[in-house]
Amino acid sequence: MARTLSLRMRIGLAIVLALLVVLGGRLFHIQGLDPAGHAHQAVSNRLHTVELPAARGDILDTQGRLLAGSADRYDIVADPRLAGDYTVPDPDLGMQRPVTVEQTAEELAALLDAEPADVLDRLTAEDTHYSTIARNVTPEVHQRVMELRAPGVYSEPVSERTYPSGPVAGSIIGFVGSDGPLEGLESQADDALSGAPGERIYEVGADGVRIPTATYEEIPAEDGQDVRLTIDQDIQWFAQEAIAEKTNEYNAQWGNATVVDLREGREGEILAMADSETVDPSDPAATDELFRRPLALTQDFEPGSGGKSVTFAAALEEGVVGPETEFRVPYRMTVNGETIRNARSHADYDMTTAGIYARSYNTGTLMIGDRMEEQTRYDYLRKVGYGEPIDIGLGVEGQSILRPPEEWDRRQPLTTQFGQGYTGSVLHNVQLYQMLAQDGVKHPLRIVDAHLDPDGQEHPVTTDPERIFSSDTSQEMLKLMEGVVEYGSAMGAKIEGYRVGGKSGTAEAAGAAGGFDGYTVNFIGVAPLDDPQFVVSITVHRPVGEFGDWDLTNTFRDIMTHALTSYDVAPSEAESGAYDGFVGQRQDYPW
Amino acid sequence: MSVLPLAASRPAARLSQSASAQKAADTPALRALPKVRRRQRGLMVGVLTLLIAALAAVLATNIYVANAQYEVVQLTNEHRDLAHQNQALAQQVQFLESPQALSNSAVTIGMVMPATAGTFDLSTGEIVSSAERASSSEVPSSFVSTPTAAQPDLAAVEVADPAASAVSGLLGTGALHTLRQPTAGDNGAGTAAGVPRSETGLHGGTIPAPDLTN
Repeated sequence: MARTLSLRMRIGLAIVLALLVVLGGRLFHIQGLDPAGHAHQAVSNRLHTVELPAARGDILDTQGRLLAGSADRYDIVADPRLAGDYTVPDPDLGMQRPVTVEQTAEELAALLDAEPADVLDRLTAEDTHYSTIARNVTPEVHQRVMELRAPGVYSEPVSERTYPSGPVAGSIIGFVGSDGPLEGLESQADDALSGAPGERIYEVGADGVRIPTATYEEIPAEDGQDVRLTIDQDIQWFAQEAIAEKTNEYNAQWGNATVVDLREGREGEILAMADSETVDPSDPAATDELFRRPLALTQDFEPGSGGKSVTFAAALEEGVVGPETEFRVPYRMTVNGETIRNARSHADYDMTTAGIYARSYNTGTLMIGDRMEEQTRYDYLRKVGYGEPIDIGLGVEGQSILRPPEEWDRRQPLTTQFGQGYTGSVLHNVQLYQMLAQDGVKHPLRIVDAHLDPDGQEHPVTTDPERIFSSDTSQEMLKLMEGVVEYGSAMGAKIEGYRVGGKSGTAEAAGAAGGFDGYTVNFIGVAPLDDPQFVVSITVHRPVGEFGDWDLTNTFRDIMTHALTSYDVAPSEAESGAYDGFVGQRQDYPW
Repeated sequence: MSVLPLAASRPAARLSQSASAQKAADTPALRALPKVRRRQRGLMVGVLTLLIAALAAVLATNIYVANAQYEVVQLTNEHRDLAHQNQALAQQVQFLESPQALSNSAVTIGMVMPATAGTFDLSTGEIVSSAERASSSEVPSSFVSTPTAAQPDLAAVEVADPAASAVSGLLGTGALHTLRQPTAGDNGAGTAAGVPRSETGLHGGTIPAPDLTN
């Protein structure tokens, strides 16, 4: 080797070195400085981010039976820029077979149960790279669609709500629209149910396969809480059948049957809130708008004779009458120029307080109520819950209209004593009988029992009880109610082996054009009276027929019997505690 | 690298450069160089072997990781398919458990509504109330419709088929067999248990391209 390089070699080396420096500089410019963001772009091209949806919590009944759950479904979407003709290898021919986009559309339509033309439109839509072909298809259909291996056809995992019992408790559960929850608990408890979605980030090669050694990150999703209701699915269904049958029998506008638990530790829990017709949450559009939300909250009406219980309880509480105080009750009486009649004409009777309650005489009720100030009676109406909305944790408040005495017209001081001139929802009425049956203590009605974390941790929902009437008043009221069933206006409500009490009511229903053009009929009962376990309320709005044609006691009896036997409440041979209705020996005066 | 003759670096040789240049240059140079070369050759062979071994190890690991990745994807798919099948079956049970469905099934096998139940007081041994005979006309009403969403899912998985073709019925090893090797064609279960999703997607290869993007 020569000791020194020749001039030519030196020049050549200098050029090579110079080129190397230039290339090195360029490399550093591109790779190190990356002013055009190529490296970043390359990574982001390879990076795929997939949202991991959080599992939406279930809605359960009081015994843990599933009312609303979630199932894996897929949205089939197309990228029309990539969709087009393609070839598939045909094993019979042993060569590639062309498939046109029209054929793809037809095959997809057959799998998805759609119109081929419609699918073709979506596959070939212009100026978009995203068009949805089908929503919420089952994994099975999704599998078959993916096996077509049609270019430009993708799927996105979604979660669909399933309602295994369909219309049972449908209006309570509510439903979910394509953009989110719309009604009922699905909407009210949405924050608890939905949880927080997670994310999976990974790099994908040009052939669509994940690069094993590259970035892989997974942020797990936080699943939503389950919500357990106080509703008993079985009793709810039974009540729905029973009230639907009754509403159908009288061809009424709507009906409602509500069952409330009075058992120790479960006071005020709504076991069933059944409407004559109920929305199926999987197909809300199929049901009339009236029945998409719980009628026990959305409908307010005059309570009618059921409202007399407030007057009687207040009078007993104030000590202005006793259960056997005697009155001479006429068929009709005029107070301040306003004439009040009873439902049917009768001779003047010598009756007890209990008798007036049992036969539900308006005139007798006025004689008792007038022993108290207007303001006192109003205060009691307010104390039991009328005049303010009732909230059971469902996002829908039950309305009640009750004007203060200074705004009353000439008739209202009288009518409010027997349940007219003010309105309340079914739950207002049920709340009243709950407190009368339970020692005079109000346990606010509720429908959500507990929230359950994914790990099983329970967060019970509790309410604060409040004493409204004395224990004595409550005991006397139960005896008055027993008279109603034993010899009064609701003898059909008797259940063999149990002491049953209740109060029937019929109120005129205000029409849309003003004035009254129909009736709301109801019956609320409690059993067994020696240790009240359940309140059952039956309401039927605008039944067809004449006043007096309607009897709800058999529906009450069926539902109450079902509740008593379902929860193993044994019959007792306890003696009736009802007071005599009439003064003297004779008790069978004509109606 | 240029190697200077040893003679050039010796001051003594430089002095007698003109006189005996050939004699001085010959002897030490020839003895030293072969030794160095032999040592270098061994080192180079060692380095090369190491390099090839390292490369082979990297390649082997890479192949293993890549294959394991396919296996992971396949197992994930299998798990998902089974989870879906399980979900569909659970749904089927839930729909059949709904009160309306139970009531309908009860009516179809001839059951009627109960009449009053009889009760005994065990402490006194008395009959509290006597039972009544149920009337055959007391069939439960069916105002509450069965869930509409039930139908497609009921068709999705027919649990009886895999059970019937199982090794020994629904119980025992048969059940396990059914779980491990679902009948092909049912709810996409045929893709499970290492069976390629579709022969046509191999493009001449033996390993199907997994799609994780789903």
